[in-house]
Amino acid sequence: MKIIYQIAIIFSICWVSQVIEKLLPIDFPASVIGMILLFLLLSIGVLKIEHIREKSDFLLANMAFFFIPAGVSVINYFDVLKSSLLPLLAICVITTVVTFAATAYSIKLTLHLMRKKENKDV
Amino acid sequence: MSDLYELFASPFFGISLSVIAFWIGIRIQKKTGLVACNPLIIAIVLIVGVLLVFHIPYESYNVGGSLINLFLAPATACLAVSIYTRVELLKKNWLPILVGCAVGSVTSMGSVYGLCRLFRLDESITAALIPKSVTTPIAVSISGTHGGITSITVVAVILTGILGSILAPTLIRLFRVEDPMTAGLAIGACSHAVGTSKAIELGETEGAMSGLAIGMCGILTVVFSMLVM
Repeated sequence: MKIIYQIAIIFSICWVSQVIEKLLPIDFPASVIGMILLFLLLSIGVLKIEHIREKSDFLLANMAFFFIPAGVSVINYFDVLKSSLLPLLAICVITTVVTFAATAYSIKLTLHLMRKKENKDV
Repeated sequence: MSDLYELFASPFFGISLSVIAFWIGIRIQKKTGLVACNPLIIAIVLIVGVLLVFHIPYESYNVGGSLINLFLAPATACLAVSIYTRVELLKKNWLPILVGCAVGSVTSMGSVYGLCRLFRLDESITAALIPKSVTTPIAVSISGTHGGITSITVVAVILTGILGSILAPTLIRLFRVEDPMTAGLAIGACSHAVGTSKAIELGETEGAMSGLAIGMCGILTVVFSMLVM
């Protein structure tokens, strides 16, 4: 019964998020609204981790599995993929390196400035 | 024979095939220990192979597939749980985390957009690739909202994740990242959950920070994509 309650809690959050998505004037994905909603519920203490632990562990631990059908639908886009396979690979490699560098350096700079300010304060 | 083909349209077929393919994928990764042998990629390749060889229409597979797909939104929502359990870490380092994730998200989206223009890729592919550095459920929602081909998004996201986890140790050395928090955030920002699995191997702080970056970059990328797309 515990698992059924947990499924009910998480699924209702998802449904409420879909309602909110419809009501919002902007295109904000429902799944992300659900994530924010759940975070808020946990933060204000309406929900405790214990209320959803087993179900959320199940969902998080098996996350990759749930993407299989979405990935398999690539079968319908073989022609598109074939014509742009090389640029696609190049984009993935280049942007991954660039993103890593930009993130790392911006944090380095932030930490450096914070330390400098701290020293000044002392 | 036609009776048999009707049976492929049973939801039990698609679900069983997915579970078996994923199980084989996990076995192969355990045996080889290679990040490149990602269970999700192996499962997708196996299923696409089975469908093509036996001439099973995608629609038949998707009767069961759509039931698995149903769990994507709840799974995304549960990312909140992994952020919530690290909320202390987030509070203590909110500024570098916010700056790093914001710069990372903008850089990723901007560089993808620039390269797509350079390679003259069409709109539906560009929109599919722009969110590719964030975790799959969020990337798929962004891509779908902006007219991208979501299956290409899934493939690009996984590919990026695998690349990130393979390249991470080299990139850490190359860009002289000594601080474990910085390393974790950078890995999470460029290669989401697949990269995070590598960050966890590197250390506890790296893993936790990488996990935080998944959620932060996800939300920031949604916000940025609404502003520009």
